Amino acid sequence: MNFRRFLLAITLFVALPFPALAGAEEATSDKSAPAGESHIDDHKKHHGLPKPAPILYHGIGGNPETGKVGPLAITNSMVVMLVVAACIILVAQLATRKAALIPSGLQNFVEWLVESLYGFFEGVLGAHMVKKTFWFFATIFIFILFSNWFGLIPGLGTIGWAEQGHHNEHVTNPLLRGVNADLNMTLAMAAIFMVLWLFWCIREIGPGGFVGHIFDVKGHGSGFFGIFLVAVFICVGVIEVVSICVRPVALTFRLYGNVFAGENMLESVMMMGNQLVPYIGGAIAVLPFYLLEILVGLVQALVFALLTSVFTALMCEHHEEEHSH
Amino acid sequence: MTGSIQVGLAALGSAVGVGLVGAKAAEATGRNPGAAGPIRTQAIIFAALAEGIVFIALFLG
Repeated sequence: MNFRRFLLAITLFVALPFPALAGAEEATSDKSAPAGESHIDDHKKHHGLPKPAPILYHGIGGNPETGKVGPLAITNSMVVMLVVAACIILVAQLATRKAALIPSGLQNFVEWLVESLYGFFEGVLGAHMVKKTFWFFATIFIFILFSNWFGLIPGLGTIGWAEQGHHNEHVTNPLLRGVNADLNMTLAMAAIFMVLWLFWCIREIGPGGFVGHIFDVKGHGSGFFGIFLVAVFICVGVIEVVSICVRPVALTFRLYGNVFAGENMLESVMMMGNQLVPYIGGAIAVLPFYLLEILVGLVQALVFALLTSVFTALMCEHHEEEHSH
Repeated sequence: MTGSIQVGLAALGSAVGVGLVGAKAAEATGRNPGAAGPIRTQAIIFAALAEGIVFIALFLG
């Protein structure tokens, strides 16, 4: 049952950026002129990653020349995403194909991963909520972790083709790009989390409990002081609503910013090293930063999964307290 | 000279914030090594929240 949910969640993530990209059609077409300029500038100054992920296939009814994006458009980040999702599904299938009571080999590793994640999220969410929400948080952690690490494979961004009349040394249309270096992907994951979060909260504490939790009056005063307290906590509730609205934005930009900046930093360090010592300087200079990026990939996956689970736990813990009373 | 001072200031503030979180987390682990797990979890949460300011300043500022 859990395995089916896992597959479902992976499929969901993979399908998500498609509508997100179609929805961003107006935004991209509006900004197409300045974006194009900065793209060219980027290439003149330093060979950094362009901010929006290059679109490989403009979808049904899309037009590459006008920048119009139709449904089912594909960016190079989405190619990597599909590959990573396929790899995860394949490993999960292989691991559970011959499930033995005493696991060994791949099954052992996958069980270790899932069980330690379960223990970890149980500590955050509590024994009651973790049963219902584990599939989402574990999937999002595994998916972000492996897509971050997949994006770090050396030479990933150099696979592609160059435009006519361009220098051969530089690929202008890379085929592959880190999954989370595309804002559509991180936004899609944050958006699906917020929808699920709302659903879980309503199911756990009900709509009344949900509003009551946000505009919660703590402490009981009497007379003028009581009215003053109510006014204060209503203001606190308004701030809480703003903080809830900022959450998906912060989640989106944190993951995107870290991965995108990491890829650019690796490239800048490589260029600097190559200027100091030709050919080998870049590779030596980039090594510590490369190890740092492996750590960042793990930490950001952990942060995304942890923050989403903490947000869920903050809202749903009320329910469990009532039960334990 | 052009630039965005608000991003620089946000980066400064969040760098100080993350540094304080890390320092206190290390200190807390030193005082009570048995609580290393929960401290690490909390430290990551607060470091991430402090870090988020930069990205908001960078992309929305």
